[in-house]
Amino acid sequence: MIRALIVDDEPHAREELEALLAETGVIEVVGSSANALEGIKAINTLRPEVLFLDIHMPMINGFEMLAMVNQEVMPHVVFTTAYDEYSLKAFEEKTLDYLLKPVEPERLTKTIGKLQELLRSSSPAPAYKVDLIRRIPCLVGQRVRLICLRDVEYISSGVAGTQVHTADEHFYTEITLKALEERAGLHRCHKQYLVNVECIQEIVFLTNGAAEILTLSNHKIPVSRRYLKNLKQKLLL
Amino acid sequence: MDLLTFSLDNIFLLLQQMSVFLVIAYLFTKTPAFRSFRVESLAERHMLSLYLIFSVFSILGTYFGLPIQDAIANTRAIGAVLAGLVGGPKLGLAVGFTAGLHRYTLGGFTAFSCGVSTTAEGLIGGLVHLYLVRNHRQTLLLSPQVAFFTTFCSEITQMMIILGLARPFSEALALVEVIALPMILANSAGAAIFVSIIRDQQRTYDELSVLFSAKAMRIAERTLTILGKGFPEHGAEELAQIVHEETGVGAVAITDREKVLAFTGIGADHHRAGQMLTSPHIIKSIEENRIVYADGIKRSWKCALSTDCPLGSALSIPIRVDSDLIGTINLFETKDTIFLGLNKTLGEGIANLISDQILHARYNEQKNLLVQSELKLVQAQINPHFLFNALNTIIAVIRKDSHQARELLLHLSNFFRKNLKRTTDISTLAEELDHVQSYLKIEKARFGDQLTLEMDIDNNLLALRLPVFSLQPLIENAIKHGISQMFAPGIVRISAHRHDANVVIKIEDNGGNYQEGGPIGLGMNIVEKRIKSLYGETYGVEVTCEPQVRTLISITLPY
Repeated sequence: MIRALIVDDEPHAREELEALLAETGVIEVVGSSANALEGIKAINTLRPEVLFLDIHMPMINGFEMLAMVNQEVMPHVVFTTAYDEYSLKAFEEKTLDYLLKPVEPERLTKTIGKLQELLRSSSPAPAYKVDLIRRIPCLVGQRVRLICLRDVEYISSGVAGTQVHTADEHFYTEITLKALEERAGLHRCHKQYLVNVECIQEIVFLTNGAAEILTLSNHKIPVSRRYLKNLKQKLLL
Repeated sequence: MDLLTFSLDNIFLLLQQMSVFLVIAYLFTKTPAFRSFRVESLAERHMLSLYLIFSVFSILGTYFGLPIQDAIANTRAIGAVLAGLVGGPKLGLAVGFTAGLHRYTLGGFTAFSCGVSTTAEGLIGGLVHLYLVRNHRQTLLLSPQVAFFTTFCSEITQMMIILGLARPFSEALALVEVIALPMILANSAGAAIFVSIIRDQQRTYDELSVLFSAKAMRIAERTLTILGKGFPEHGAEELAQIVHEETGVGAVAITDREKVLAFTGIGADHHRAGQMLTSPHIIKSIEENRIVYADGIKRSWKCALSTDCPLGSALSIPIRVDSDLIGTINLFETKDTIFLGLNKTLGEGIANLISDQILHARYNEQKNLLVQSELKLVQAQINPHFLFNALNTIIAVIRKDSHQARELLLHLSNFFRKNLKRTTDISTLAEELDHVQSYLKIEKARFGDQLTLEMDIDNNLLALRLPVFSLQPLIENAIKHGISQMFAPGIVRISAHRHDANVVIKIEDNGGNYQEGGPIGLGMNIVEKRIKSLYGETYGVEVTCEPQVRTLISITLPY
């Protein structure tokens, strides 16, 4: 059975696809999410092999959501859409396939055939050429705040998940440190920290070979020995 | 001779010469110069002609005077005082000085004192003028009473000056005793009568122009509805009739570039609508794109159709819309009637009026067409997405609940039928809500718990008239750009209530995603435009947005 995740903001669309996939007998739907943030979370925890992804979704569309997924957990992607196949074709040829809603069972069988072949040859999920993340979606209560990159001073990860720190606030996000390092242009300075180079005010070198960054709004973040060299290079030190 | 009878004789003599004066004054009011002359607004060039006219009057007054004891009893003062009254101190001084200088050259023992006093009289008239203008009582400038008293005072002043300046004093005193009473009375009465002649003539002209304006206004009012209906193909007959009635000319014809569209009045027995143009005057007017006038005296108009035609003079005026000549309007008079200049001017005015009204009607028509086509565009744009989404939803629902699926299909069918059927411009709130209900039922099924609808409609307003498709685009915006862009559950509230003389319909969502100039604009702009063009500038659509909290769209309509 192929493990699949459905991400679509319309409940009927999710149920319909779930039913159709169940009928094929080769797909196990491990989860279905109503928006991009739930989708990212589900990918990180459920590790599906294939993602049926709607393009039109609130705040963060399907393309933007892919940019926020870690490459090592990136599943194969099948886009689903009611009418926007043109933007899809422009997106990338590496996309496994796309399905037009309403989905015809014959068409779905063909898509699954392709998918099975890909999985048998055990080729890794393609590195989708995605856009850079320009705004980081963060959950604030029941709402989503999109934080502009230029407002971000640094990002930390810990037991509470990934935290985005601005000058005077911090927000929880579903996006992993790794995805943000790769796609948001933030610089790794510690196993658990990314820093926005634009926001560094001072670097204090410590006696143990590590360092400490003072950000523009006087937050202190650690620089480990392992990442100091890279940081120096980046800053032409 | 007894002094008193001498004075009385003098009065009669002076009144006699004053009559000559008044005839001149009367003739002056008949000149073209007088027609453009208004006491309230005198231009520089008027000043010069007034200076000449009043100076001549004043000098004539001296010449018509009676020589008495080496002096002249005269009506010189009228010209000087009136010049000051009508034209102000400068004109008064100028005329007074001119006439005074002239008197001085004639000699006699009062030559100098009379010269000075005439200048002073002009100045007094001018000062009265200044006083009246400063107190915003310009209407009194041509009041006979004011003229009488101003001249009265001026003449008394003149007598004092003569007594003061002329030597020997004994002779001056004897002279003044004889001439004072006749001169004061004759000059004052003369000035008063002169002014009243001018005033009456001006009134006649004013009344004529009031009459003229009233005619023009009445024609404008009566033709307004006719010209909106696609003139000149329609309404030519009615237009000809109205112009005929209002101007009272012998006959009126309206033509396009080739043929007669309408003919009313004398000669209608052989001049008929539909005939090709035969009159060289009308053809010339079209070819040369200008007014052609045959006054019936120097150039007569000859009917090309019948030798018995009684019409003998004609005015042909081209009707232009933008720069295109679309036809002519023609006024005729019979051979034994003089074509009035007034009707000539009126005819030209009517042609301008018609051009303007046609232009206005065309502009309105095009504006309506534009809004209609925009409306069609919006209808066409919206439907495919909505249809796909609706079909997807229904396909999914069939699997679980065929009854609900059937209901949704009925709503979809209702929605599209209403969309197609709506060809009129105006609908009622009840109809609009019915259309919107079908739409909302489908969207509610599509979004499930993600969409909550709240309706609060005052049932007394269901018959309210509003432009068709006013609500649907705005509600669609609330869902498409508001609710469907939210993670949290969305709420759309629709309410309609009376506020004083207005009705306010509100569409509110808790998305708060409205952006000025964003995609919401088009549909809303059209609704706004149509409401304003139907009900006026005070009504329309207003948006307030609290980002991430709510977007509120208020439609204000008259109750």
